[in-house]
Amino acid sequence: MLETEELRKVYKGTAAVDSVNLFLEKGESVGLLGPNGAGKSTTISMIASLIAPSAGDVRLNGKSVLKHPNEIRKVLGIVPQEIALYPELTAFENLKFFGRIYGLKGEALSRRVQEVLKLLGLEDRQKDLVKTYSGGMKRRINIGAALLHQPEILIMDEPTVGIDPQSRSYILDTVRKLNEEKGMTVLYTSHYMEEVERLCDRVYIMDHGKVIASGTKDELKSILSGEEAILVEMDRDYPGLVKELEADEAILQTIEIDKGLKLIVPKGSRLLGKIFQAAERHGAQISNITVQVPTLEDVFLHLTGRKLRD
Amino acid sequence: MKSIYLHQWQRFRRAPMLVVSFFLLTVVFVFTLAGFQSDDKFTVLAFVKEGSSDQAAEEWSDRLNESEGMFFDLREEEEVREMMRDGRTNFALAVGDSDYRMVVAAEDANLITVESYTAQVFREEFRLKQAEEAGGENIREDIQSSLEDPVLTVTTETIQGAEGTFVYDNQIQTLFGMTLFFSIYTMIFSLMNVTEEKRTGTWDRLIVSPLKKSQMYIGHFLYCFTVGYAQIVVIFLLFKYGLGFDLGGNFPAILIVVGCYAFAIVALGTLLMGLVKSSQQLQAVIPIVATAMAMLGGAFWPIEIVTNNIVLFLSQGMPILYALDALKSIAIYGRGLADLAQPLSILILFGVVCMGVGVNLMERRG
Ligand SMILES: Nc1ncnc2c1ncn2[C@@H]1O[C@H](COP(=O)(O)OP(=O)(O)O)[C@@H](O)[C@H]1O
Ligand SMILES: [Mg+2]
Repeated sequence: MLETEELRKVYKGTAAVDSVNLFLEKGESVGLLGPNGAGKSTTISMIASLIAPSAGDVRLNGKSVLKHPNEIRKVLGIVPQEIALYPELTAFENLKFFGRIYGLKGEALSRRVQEVLKLLGLEDRQKDLVKTYSGGMKRRINIGAALLHQPEILIMDEPTVGIDPQSRSYILDTVRKLNEEKGMTVLYTSHYMEEVERLCDRVYIMDHGKVIASGTKDELKSILSGEEAILVEMDRDYPGLVKELEADEAILQTIEIDKGLKLIVPKGSRLLGKIFQAAERHGAQISNITVQVPTLEDVFLHLTGRKLRD
Repeated sequence: MKSIYLHQWQRFRRAPMLVVSFFLLTVVFVFTLAGFQSDDKFTVLAFVKEGSSDQAAEEWSDRLNESEGMFFDLREEEEVREMMRDGRTNFALAVGDSDYRMVVAAEDANLITVESYTAQVFREEFRLKQAEEAGGENIREDIQSSLEDPVLTVTTETIQGAEGTFVYDNQIQTLFGMTLFFSIYTMIFSLMNVTEEKRTGTWDRLIVSPLKKSQMYIGHFLYCFTVGYAQIVVIFLLFKYGLGFDLGGNFPAILIVVGCYAFAIVALGTLLMGLVKSSQQLQAVIPIVATAMAMLGGAFWPIEIVTNNIVLFLSQGMPILYALDALKSIAIYGRGLADLAQPLSILILFGVVCMGVGVNLMERRG
């Protein structure tokens, strides 16, 4: 129902978004994964008709959003990356205002505000000023403000940045509920791969303004089908050991983690013995060793040679 | 538009301090600068110069006492000199038959004013006498009647460019000047809600809603207009009915002038927002603009006493000048709206241009 066509945005000669093609089918939950500065927010802003693309187009049911911005505004709910609320007003007043600008009035408006507050679990605190809220509660109201008009498409720009695990979990559950129970189409942007793995059917991975991979989670992971990751935990760091393993041609990639190593190796390669021997030589005490199935994080690492959250 | 407008009032209710403090500041300033103005004239002690006639001195002091601002108290020389010794007065005037002398015991800020006024009266009197001697029978009456009351008049170029006399009413000048000056802060600071919304991102939320941009802007402009308008009018009413300031008989005309002025200032604020990049910059610019405009436009002192051509030229670009001119025309000279077409249309034109340019600049920046 919603698609972008060769979407491009150039800021001062550099492309923040470069030839991005995305599509969302009705009822889908799609993830947009990428590190900071990948161009996720810029892409979303163009979809929402907030900023004009340098080239390309956005289509809603085949109609150009550039030419008919009002079409998408009615059916779109957008949760901005920053908390965009009026801190000096209560949660109730904030939601009421955002409902009113979508044309809701009177009884219908009040009912809708209560529904949203209930969905977010903030009914008890609705009369409190938003500035007295915790980060997680503000984030929830930030989402709520996009839900009052019951949008068909919900676009969320990193809605869980900087909050406690309970709030994050609550938000993820809420989004899942909206998608599964209300059939809301969701585009979920994040640089946390766990969130995208948990919520989304399909994923686009962005880096440096470009979509570098896309598909279902399984499709993406099959990029790594020939590889697996070995996680080695030790009592401390051993730079000598790292050097030795890096030099080993059987090991595809050696990544240092805190008090340990992550090794990307071809699937089925019997390397554990070798690793233990090398550790012994360097006097390293191995406390744990795990063989991992690939995650989206590994896919990103594989594609870019960098970690998502560098 | 209505939702945006009402929303600003809701926000105002939660954070009224800014507007309230500018309101109070205005009241305090006007009250201290003009509220207690009594009818007491400044008293100048005078005595008859040695060897001159008492009668001549009395005639002179009557003539001098036609002034509205000074009272010449003719006493015995001994008494005056003693008062000077005791430091009860810094200077005195010794009046002769056809001349005068200032007797100065200590520096005094009023000395120059008194001296120049006295000199003016003596000079005028001599000229009249000369004219009479030259043969004009009724010349004194003619001139006297053509001299406007009060006597202390300054001939000056008015805004309209016509030669006219200027009446200085301290109460009215202070009330109008200070109220219009402080209302600039109230209005432009209120307009900063727009920059704040852009900064926090709520503006983007409004843009992606079905609201039109024009509705968003008009809602904000209308709010700032109302706040500024209400502040000015309430203060005028307060001083008119509370403290008996004489604002003339045409209050509806004053309401219309205030409306045009408030519109021009909201527009000026829009232009400033279009020119600066952030709320912080705007906060720094507002006092500069407000103060400069008030100084150049005659809010702190009457523009009529300014002789510097550069200042007079610059004042033509200040909306506050036209508003003050119009308000004073109504309150002091009793003119009606028909006479104010020029200043009012300048205010409106100024507003339309600033608002158009300002909104365009803001939109271009995105
Ligand atoms: N208004 C802007 N002006 C200049 N550069 C911008 C602007 N907005 C974003 N960028 C640049 O575009 C790139 C992508 O930014 P963004 O879309 O915010 O990434 P993400 O949301 O994935 O973190 C970044 O390099 C950023 O610096
Ligand atoms: Mg972003």
